[in-house]
Amino acid sequence: MQSAEHTIKPNAIPRRSFLNLAFFSSLALLLAQSLAALVKFLKPVPSGGFGGEVYAGRVDEFTVGSVNRVLAGRFYLVRTEEGLLALWQRCTHLGCSVPWVDAEAQFHCPCHGSLFNNLGEVTGGPAPRPLDIFPISIRNGEVWVDTGKPIQRSRFDAGQVTRA
Amino acid sequence: MPTWIESITRSRLWRSFFRHGWPDNPLDRSLVMTSNIFFHLHPVKMNRKSLRVTYSFGLGVMVVIVFGILSLTGLLLMFYYTPAIEHAYSNVVRLQTQVPFGQLLRNLHRWGAHLMVILVVLHMARVFYTGAYKPPREFNWVVGVVLLLLTLGASFTGYLLPWDQLAYWAITVGTSVAGYAPLVGSQARLFLLGGPEIGQEALTRFYALHVMLIPAAIVLVTSLHLWRVRKDGGLAANDAD
Amino acid sequence: MAQVPNKVAFPKDGAKTYSLVELVKGAPTVMVEKGPDNTVFSFPVVALLELLLVLGVSALLLLMSLARNAPLEEFANPTLTTDPAKAPWYFMGLQEMLEHGHPTLMAVVLPTVMVLFVMAIPYLDNDRRGSGRWFTSPRGRKLTWNTTLYALLAMPAFILLDNAFPPRELLRGMAPDFIAQFAIPAVVMGLIVAAPVLALRRQRPTMREVMLVLFTMLFVSAIVFTVTGFFFRGPGFRLYWPWDMPGGYSPFDNL
Ligand code: HEM
Ligand code: FES
Repeated sequence: MQSAEHTIKPNAIPRRSFLNLAFFSSLALLLAQSLAALVKFLKPVPSGGFGGEVYAGRVDEFTVGSVNRVLAGRFYLVRTEEGLLALWQRCTHLGCSVPWVDAEAQFHCPCHGSLFNNLGEVTGGPAPRPLDIFPISIRNGEVWVDTGKPIQRSRFDAGQVTRA
Repeated sequence: MPTWIESITRSRLWRSFFRHGWPDNPLDRSLVMTSNIFFHLHPVKMNRKSLRVTYSFGLGVMVVIVFGILSLTGLLLMFYYTPAIEHAYSNVVRLQTQVPFGQLLRNLHRWGAHLMVILVVLHMARVFYTGAYKPPREFNWVVGVVLLLLTLGASFTGYLLPWDQLAYWAITVGTSVAGYAPLVGSQARLFLLGGPEIGQEALTRFYALHVMLIPAAIVLVTSLHLWRVRKDGGLAANDAD
Repeated sequence: MAQVPNKVAFPKDGAKTYSLVELVKGAPTVMVEKGPDNTVFSFPVVALLELLLVLGVSALLLLMSLARNAPLEEFANPTLTTDPAKAPWYFMGLQEMLEHGHPTLMAVVLPTVMVLFVMAIPYLDNDRRGSGRWFTSPRGRKLTWNTTLYALLAMPAFILLDNAFPPRELLRGMAPDFIAQFAIPAVVMGLIVAAPVLALRRQRPTMREVMLVLFTMLFVSAIVFTVTGFFFRGPGFRLYWPWDMPGGYSPFDNL
């Protein structure tokens, strides 16, 4: 007995504290793991339809200066001098769907009156940023829009236009 | 007491249900409260001060009652409702036009939901203006705020279920607000809706929240709330001089 | 033989079955000798009162349900927004606030601050006195009504002024969004809410009175914003008289 006591180093952690520490940190780890698993479980799984790649039409269908609604993809395909821009119809203010009003030649949101020009830039109302855009790919003259990856932007720049 | 009542309350069958006799004397009246799971929320005797109508207006009790009505009518609505975007709307139409008392049931549930929000807010206001949040009731006030948020959550998730234009756009506008929270906003919105826009996933999630998770939480937290009312010495009116 | 240990203050008398063990200071926990008994048996008195409430609330709800049907519009159409698009009525206060500043400020920062403040009230005002009495004191009652009156004037004035001269549009392109939509509304609203507290400073208010003023300010403002959003916003989310909405729209369609 005597000798055993002598082997304890004076600054060693007592066995009880060590076991307590080990127990409670394992418990915390277990909890953190379960929480992480829950978050992964609740994270949405992508599904088909809107949210996938949507066929918009042939490039030559879209005349320069036109704003074309693609219902299935919930976006507007805009043809400018330089190329194509796919604007998500979802208002960046509170998510109403924004119609293109031909008479005003602009997007006019019915909910709180946000205004956007044909490039999606805010020209009036409470919307804090331009309309979101979707990536466009042109394959054999066909326009495909990936509605699963909306891109938020703070201003319009020429790099956002897909050349056509 | 008529002897026939006495013979019933003395019978072995009655005694196996209730551990008290007919409550026409102080002892049995006390036993009713202490030996019955529903009554035991109350103390055996109550101070008249806390029962004055102009003190509490019975608002908290009314919230419990409306919540009970909502649970009952909601359960019945579940018999005719499917949380699928192809069926939800037509189920509601069928409920209103073909199921006997279906429209009435839906009205009760919807107006009840609105009434509950109003009553909870009024209850909070009366607790505040009577100073009933002061120690030792601080914690129960915080529990109350949680109940207020849960009540709003229950109402909001239920709003989407009819899947009509009103529901769709109200929830679109409502959840877009969440997207503005810094850092976690757009993720929170995504988790709530199960996708970038409101669709089947959102309906599924809102349904689970509305019929199960939030009501269960309300029941649990309300139990805590009522238990604390008693542990803190009943209503604050009792302490007032 | 056995010596009584001298720590025991009240030695037990071996001939008695009871003894004094300790003296406890403070109010007795039992209700003896505390004035006339002012209690009633919960059964049947309170039980009957509650049964009456059950019947009353059920009757009220039944009448409401017979008087008016729950609304049901057309099948949801994600490509066509209703005009106006309104959140449920209890969030209309929030939606109305969104009209007057940046969404992060109006829908996230201010509501969070409000909920945290409400939760913190009992920890800020932890004086037990005056609990269980409406408004605590006559001065508290007066303060509450004065604050109510002030909020009923100041908040609608703010809404109308901001609607007529929105900094967002007036400063578009001139000042960054942060100034026009964040800083200006935050400072203006903060001042409106803080003004009555500042005005009260000279009267050396108790914490309870400060809370009465602040809570009343928030509570009445919330009601003003909710009522404005619900009753006075029509198509395009513009302000109209509730009985004079264009396009046959009625605020009650949105219940
Ligand atoms: C689902 C929501 C709620 C339910 C079912 C509920 C229920 C009750 C009931 C039955 C009482 C007894 C007194 C009375 O009837 O007024 C009570 C008291 C109380 N409640 Fe609530 N309540 C809810 C929400 C809240 C909220 C939102 C608050 C405050 C933020 C709150 C704070 C309190 C406090 C502090 C008391 C003690 C009052 C006193 O001593 O006078 N409760 N509640
Ligand atoms: S949702 Fe478009 S302006 Fe508010």
